[in-house]
Amino acid sequence: MTDVPKRLLAFSDLTAIAGVGYTPFTKNSGVSTLTLACRAVLAALEDAGLPVDQVDGLATHRVGDSAPPTLVGPALGLTDLAWHLDQFGGGSVSHAVVGQAALAVATGMAETVVCYRAVNARSEFRMGGTGRGVPVSPEVQYQAPYGYVAPPQQYAMYARAHMLKYGTKAEHFGQLAVTQRANAAKNPRALMRIPITLDDYLASRWIAEPFRLLDCCLETDGACAVVVTTAERARALRRPPVLVSAAAWGGGTTHLSGPGADPTVTAAAALAPRLYAQAGLGPDDIDVAELYDCFTYSVIVQLEDYGFCGKGEGGPYVASGATAAGGPLPVNTHGGFLSEGYVHGMNHIAEAVSQLRGDAGERQVPGAEVALSTAQPGYILPATSALILRRP
Amino acid sequence: MARYRPEPDRDSREWWERVGRREFAVQVCDACGTARFPARAFCARCRTEGAHWREVAPEGTVESWIVNHQPFVPGPREPYVVVMVRLAAVPGCFVYGNWRGRRPPEHGERVTASYTRVDADLTLVDWRPGP
Ligand SMILES: [Zn+2]
Repeated sequence: MTDVPKRLLAFSDLTAIAGVGYTPFTKNSGVSTLTLACRAVLAALEDAGLPVDQVDGLATHRVGDSAPPTLVGPALGLTDLAWHLDQFGGGSVSHAVVGQAALAVATGMAETVVCYRAVNARSEFRMGGTGRGVPVSPEVQYQAPYGYVAPPQQYAMYARAHMLKYGTKAEHFGQLAVTQRANAAKNPRALMRIPITLDDYLASRWIAEPFRLLDCCLETDGACAVVVTTAERARALRRPPVLVSAAAWGGGTTHLSGPGADPTVTAAAALAPRLYAQAGLGPDDIDVAELYDCFTYSVIVQLEDYGFCGKGEGGPYVASGATAAGGPLPVNTHGGFLSEGYVHGMNHIAEAVSQLRGDAGERQVPGAEVALSTAQPGYILPATSALILRRP
Repeated sequence: MARYRPEPDRDSREWWERVGRREFAVQVCDACGTARFPARAFCARCRTEGAHWREVAPEGTVESWIVNHQPFVPGPREPYVVVMVRLAAVPGCFVYGNWRGRRPPEHGERVTASYTRVDADLTLVDWRPGP
């Protein structure tokens, strides 16, 4: 097993998520991202049973598309934050934000940090790339001139590489979409709740072959927030605390410039051993997994890279029903980005918290004690982040 | 609308100038001889600056491809094919381009650069089947 420094082991379970909050998920919120952020932050504090004036930290991530903590704080009357984080990045850093908040709380830099992500990703800044400028990155110049720039295209490229190397099939992607929609049908928050079949999947229009419409996540307006505080303090609050057992970062090779790049392996493969070692757990200990599903393929490759099945076996693993409700590893129990809504990762963390508190209603995984929640596995911004959460 | 035009930076300017002359060149580290792409000041292997350009065979193998149907950016008309090519001259590096074959690409097949002159100021590297 990977060696973990003693100081890092001491970090394990020192902090907890004490509350979660959402705005409704819609196609047009009609309000600013600042408003969405404030609503989600207040909802998470209400859930935790904490007054706003006890917040001394705020954290978010964004790609120039949302309100930063330095606006959200004053908008809620918080004019002297002891700690804040405005992390650049999309889905690959969603879990890093909560990891960093846990570090700030663990050191005593702050006591109560609310982490949020607020987007008008359908009505204003479309995350899929349609209708907006190309991202600013030195590598874009080698891709965009060929009409290759949007995440669905990039993921489709990697998905085909996986299909070619391992025989992964469209039906495997389809099965995942069908399974997650079935989960969303049991989630009142979900934007897409009408069940679909494999035939519906196969009949959906091409976006970028091998991806069809139903391989792609929703573009959503909405916000989600979670409250991070000490485990000790969380125990005294309204909700059962959910401990942060491990938080990890990893990866860093882009698939333009190697060395030795294998497009079927993600940054999660580098991160996973560190993450599990920090929690003192392994893949077999995970009861429920909320895996970043910007596209169907990203779940399949993460099932492999987080060690739930062998390399190349992600497709057949999904087809076996393993990731469906009642299977050995329920995945994206809320419907995920494909069917609940795409708030860029924070809603995966919030769903994991619900599952571990046992308040996930009809979609509850019975007896769930340990959850894995993950960020974009590092295909676009070439690093990733993840959390292992558990019930005390 | 016009297609996206690459914006060469201080690292990449020479690459684009050479492509404009239909030259396929990569940087080679002065200290350890490691070839790299795309253009960078530092060698990731020996962490030194200093490199020279070496013209290499514009060849590779097809790693993957997409057929694009959704209009994400102005310019190319849907559907079009983008290929991901494993560069022969620089192990572990990939390049992208549009497909200039009359049939779909095949996994692992050998491909060669095909220069597309967009206008007087812009030439792009595309890919066609065969050596
Ligand atoms: Zn060198």
